[in-house]
Amino acid sequence: MAANPTFRTPVVAPATPELREKLENMWSDHPGLIGWFTTVDHKKIGKRYLATAFIFLLVGGLEALGMRLQLAQPNEHLLPPFLYNEFFSMHGMTMIFLYALPILSGFSNWVWPLILGTRDMAFPRLNMFTYWTFLLAGIFLYIGFWNGQGTDVGWFNYAPLTERQFNPGWNIDIYSLGMIFLGVSTTAGAINFIATAFRTRAPGMSISRIPIMIWGTLVSNIGILFAVPAVSLAFALLWFDRQFGTHFYEPTLGGRPLLWQHLFWIFGHPWVYAIVLPAMSIVSQCLPVYCRRPLVANSAVILATILTMVLGFGVWVHHMFTTGLPVIAVGFFAAASFIIVIPSAVSVFAWTATIWTGRPVFTTAFKFFAAEIVLFVIGGVSGFMTAAVPVDWQLHGTYFVVAHIHFVLIGINVFPVIGGIYHWYPKMTGRMMSEKLGWWNFWLMFVGFLVGFFPMHISGLLGMPRRIYTYPAGLGWGDVNLVTTIGAFIFAFGVLLFVINVIRSRFAGAKAPANPWDADSLEWATESPPPSYNFAVIPRVGSIHPLWEGRLDDRGGRTTIGEGAVLDHEHEIPGTTVLDAEPDVILKQPHPTPIPLITALLIGGVFVGMLLTMWWVVLGCMCALVLDIFFWLWPRPETGWAERGSWDKEQERT
Amino acid sequence: MNANVYDERNLPRPLPVGLVGYRTGGWWGMLAFIGTEAAVFAYLLFSYFYLQSQHAQQWPPSGLPPLRYSIPITVCLLVSVGTMWWAEYSVRIGRRAMLFVALVITALLGVAYVVLEFLDWQIEPFLVNAGAYSSLFYSLTALHVLHAIIGIFILIAMFLWSLLGYITPQRHFAVRIAAMYWYFLVLVWIAIFITLYMLPYIGPG
Repeated sequence: MAANPTFRTPVVAPATPELREKLENMWSDHPGLIGWFTTVDHKKIGKRYLATAFIFLLVGGLEALGMRLQLAQPNEHLLPPFLYNEFFSMHGMTMIFLYALPILSGFSNWVWPLILGTRDMAFPRLNMFTYWTFLLAGIFLYIGFWNGQGTDVGWFNYAPLTERQFNPGWNIDIYSLGMIFLGVSTTAGAINFIATAFRTRAPGMSISRIPIMIWGTLVSNIGILFAVPAVSLAFALLWFDRQFGTHFYEPTLGGRPLLWQHLFWIFGHPWVYAIVLPAMSIVSQCLPVYCRRPLVANSAVILATILTMVLGFGVWVHHMFTTGLPVIAVGFFAAASFIIVIPSAVSVFAWTATIWTGRPVFTTAFKFFAAEIVLFVIGGVSGFMTAAVPVDWQLHGTYFVVAHIHFVLIGINVFPVIGGIYHWYPKMTGRMMSEKLGWWNFWLMFVGFLVGFFPMHISGLLGMPRRIYTYPAGLGWGDVNLVTTIGAFIFAFGVLLFVINVIRSRFAGAKAPANPWDADSLEWATESPPPSYNFAVIPRVGSIHPLWEGRLDDRGGRTTIGEGAVLDHEHEIPGTTVLDAEPDVILKQPHPTPIPLITALLIGGVFVGMLLTMWWVVLGCMCALVLDIFFWLWPRPETGWAERGSWDKEQERT
Repeated sequence: MNANVYDERNLPRPLPVGLVGYRTGGWWGMLAFIGTEAAVFAYLLFSYFYLQSQHAQQWPPSGLPPLRYSIPITVCLLVSVGTMWWAEYSVRIGRRAMLFVALVITALLGVAYVVLEFLDWQIEPFLVNAGAYSSLFYSLTALHVLHAIIGIFILIAMFLWSLLGYITPQRHFAVRIAAMYWYFLVLVWIAIFITLYMLPYIGPG
């Protein structure tokens, strides 16, 4: 392989068929199974993230349906109590950790380089690594479920019930180690998104021209950097308590169960914003396309997104109003929880104004995004209600809170995700999804959701506590619960139609043109599906709506798409400056490699060793990891390093 | 604004190829990694102060912490900041022999720290399961030792790669990224040293 010259002047030329062929040979993966395990292509990784996270959603959904059947009538005995405990714990863990963020990472992985006008993420190998660690951590978290060793004290896992003396099985060990394992994946992913946003935008995409989808995910990932350590630490200390007899949460020798709640919710509340802000930014990105106008108050929405994430770190105690904390602390966090409503509402007003002043096209995707606004308002209001301390004292631990969390997470995460799939499916697969099936899909999900989850507010107000296995007749909870169960099944049927639509359209959908929705952002400038190299020549961005220039009343610059920097020596992408996105460097990106998979497997080995307390396995895997990482980072010209012995050559030249 | 690959005369301008310069992707990656690791230590220190604030009896329960090894550790690590900076400086001005010496001394100071910390654990009058304080003490110090071992491996890689001539005055970003990590490591130690070894002497006993 040729050595890297220190400087090179990029060729600027139009995209030709010869260039496309050359790039296709250069960027395509190895054929067959080897290619499948070694690919670092962000599009393939993104699709795998989406598929894997969606499968976890279906698994978590089946667990929920089991719970709903059990609760449909008073005094039912469909599930044994221990299994019910595992069902609600695994359901929460699956949905919050294995579905809600990974599905958004899937979208971001898939769409970021396309929307940024480049060919890959900043760290393609790290990207692959995050997928494999996510998958392995997901499997790890599920290994105990099949023989009654799944986590069983709720997804927020309060100490001291999780200590060894109260919960002697493997259940909590698996949950603790699995969550630390998953944290590795989440953190590595966040680092990759941050470096990508700051480093690899197309030339000309200055800070004022960054599409809003990027902002939501970027802000959320910066939040993740500072939130995930709290939960990884909390679980690590819990595992120390269980394994080595430390006393972090165990009160007899100075530990405090409340320490767990603090650490968990210092993570937990920012996490809520980490899993809704990217989804909200999907709505902000896609909803205007169907309203045939740019988003109203784009800058205000971006600033509100940032402010929401920042404030999100200061409201965790509102999960702990009933723990007897000092009044002054409770008052402070109640006030912060009220204030956070203001930036959260900015998006709602911006979306509403966008629909109001636009010319909406009622596609399935539009319906999902519009429904999100409605559900967000309902979930937001119930959250606002419980921010008031006396109301929270009444409602804490009841189904009212269950209703709130589902309106927020299904409303602001699942609905935008499904809408986002309808929006980007043509670009991902080159096929359109069925709008007819989409109509049934949407209305069943929307009606099913409202029928299923709205009555939970009522059962909560009637005093029904969450997590109970069954309830006696005569409390007046039976009818509401029956309605909830019926709604849950209607909702599930809607999700089933979605799955059918996705699979059917893959083969039978109409062929999609490059830009079927006449959208404004750069991913629609390339073919559907995009070639392995995304863009034959690197676009030069002149405005925030590259494909709508000329028809908007904007005096901004003009984007060049068909002609630009060619960059056809190995895997190359432009590196640009942070604020102005001026070309700074020609980055060399790695080739397909199995190393990320091997690294993920070795880390998996470390965690399996810790679970089985086989310390020689832990030590062996760690030694192998050191060698593996040396090999991963070994200087190679293809990743932009100098050749061996370059020091002397450079000295000779000067 | 000249936000394209063209220069003022509308001609394509030369760009550096690969990992040239300082703010590489790895620089951003390390910055983010340091941010998240700093958060781990911050939350662990939060746990320390929280449990201390909830503790009714004497803190630390076993009396004042011994300084026999912790002060030499602090000296070692503070000196290593200087030698790490020296390594950075050497590679920038193209002095290869100085770079080797500086990297080796920094790594040896790191090893000295790990050894001294092990000795410190030997003279502590409690085991990890004695109570909340001992749990916190060993978790904080062990987590930091773990990070120092990673730092020593990074220094070994830097030494090896500059020996093989991969690192050059023009492509010296790796040494600077390694230095960022090392400075972070020492900064965290200062926080740990003040918390575990200094505050019990000056705080309300």
